[in-house]
Amino acid sequence: MAGLDYTWLLDPVYQQWLLKGVGITLELAVISSLFAIVIGLVATLALTLRIAWLDALIELFVELFRNTPPLLQMLFFYFTLTQLGFTVEDPVTGLQKPLFSAFASACVSLSLFGGALCVEAFRSGMEAVPKATLEAARALGYTRLGLFRHVQVPIASRVCLPALTNVLTNLFKTTSQSSVITVPELMYAAGQIYNDTFRTLEVMLLVLVIYVVLVSLLAWGLSCLERLFAYPGYGNGG
Amino acid sequence: MLSDVLYIRRKRQTKQAVAILTLLLLVFTTFGHGASQWMLVVARLPLLLTGSMSGWPITGGFALNIFISIISMAAATVMGVLLGIAMMAHRGWLRRPAILLMNFLRNAPWLVLLFSMLYLLPYHAELFGIRFDFSPVAKSIIGLSLPTAANFAEIIRGAVQSIHAGQWESARSLGYSHLQIYRLVILPQALRRIIPGWMSLYALLMISTALATVTGVQEVVTLLRTTLAMESESTLIYFYVAVLLMFFFYCYPIALLARRLENKTKGDAI
Repeated sequence: MAGLDYTWLLDPVYQQWLLKGVGITLELAVISSLFAIVIGLVATLALTLRIAWLDALIELFVELFRNTPPLLQMLFFYFTLTQLGFTVEDPVTGLQKPLFSAFASACVSLSLFGGALCVEAFRSGMEAVPKATLEAARALGYTRLGLFRHVQVPIASRVCLPALTNVLTNLFKTTSQSSVITVPELMYAAGQIYNDTFRTLEVMLLVLVIYVVLVSLLAWGLSCLERLFAYPGYGNGG
Repeated sequence: MLSDVLYIRRKRQTKQAVAILTLLLLVFTTFGHGASQWMLVVARLPLLLTGSMSGWPITGGFALNIFISIISMAAATVMGVLLGIAMMAHRGWLRRPAILLMNFLRNAPWLVLLFSMLYLLPYHAELFGIRFDFSPVAKSIIGLSLPTAANFAEIIRGAVQSIHAGQWESARSLGYSHLQIYRLVILPQALRRIIPGWMSLYALLMISTALATVTGVQEVVTLLRTTLAMESESTLIYFYVAVLLMFFFYCYPIALLARRLENKTKGDAI
């Protein structure tokens, strides 16, 4: 397209805003991914115990977070927790301020959203372990824990890697939505820059490319991991 | 270890208990100090659902979300089929750019794509002498249908490639042409695997229509935020819960049906 003007990129101020935005995006993505994986692991572990009421509650949690917009979840966490009384006194001004900053509430909501997706991914991995394999292992005298540790986890963790790639890239992409609750990540930095330079098209194209590169890198890294753990007979590695 | 029947029954009982508890909580808050707040939400419900105070004419709100999602899904289905076919083409000059485009659209955040479309598309364009005006609604439909199309193309490719290679070989040995194999052997089987993915993609798209708020169209999140600016702070949570439930009750049945269909087709991976 003709007439694209990227001279503003030479300005160190804008470079710094972009870099800071990328840094906060990465921070947000890493923190929420870690929490999401932990939530997913704990919930999947709980699911293997087959406690009916607990499983029903986990299922409800997953469905609730999967079927509502993450943007709305973020707004909900950011605005309503304050109203429910989660506030602290600001040491400087003595006024009540929210317990969670915009960044923290984005982390909380992204972790819960990603956690719900992770539970789905891990559970489908566990379900992919063939029943015959489990029966064979039980016939060989594995205990419940041994079965879990030596049979279910090694197979399921390999099978669920492609699904986990989907979840983590999805989560990374969702971090851009936290710009709506004023978390100063990449998308927010973009807004600041085009408000300053009026170069909306150029800024958005650049940000689009940055996001695509980052997400592609993440997906590529996870696919390398997939190949590393490939297991004959299960998934794509066979 | 519980027997399967007992396990499923207990699970259903728990879900019913949660539903009853939620209802009780609603009733309790209605008779408690939450009554006036719920009344405010109910008074604003026509606005949130249809965009006009009396509920008619429909100018936006949740109805606009549904409208955007349906039109985007239709556009995405057409584009996704074309992209999916191009991705499986034997000619490299067609396949490689298609795969590149699919990866680009799939790896870009929906919000950023939507925002880019807002600035990338002109306000109006002239094609074959006909003047097209791009309203914000049209722009958000295009912005949402692009990543959906990429995802759908990937679903199509996955479904077609999951059909066993032996089917290709036997069909070819029976003398079918390439197009005939697609039409008579591969597509009827692939369709069964595409439909569940297509449905859950629609649920995902519906959820993402909330992002259209950045383009400034009068959909439910925009209306929610303008409404909340007028209301007192104590009603905040009631309004958010109401809108969250709107999305949940629309998307959950679709996701549930998609899951059921998926489980049905799971067995026939030959």
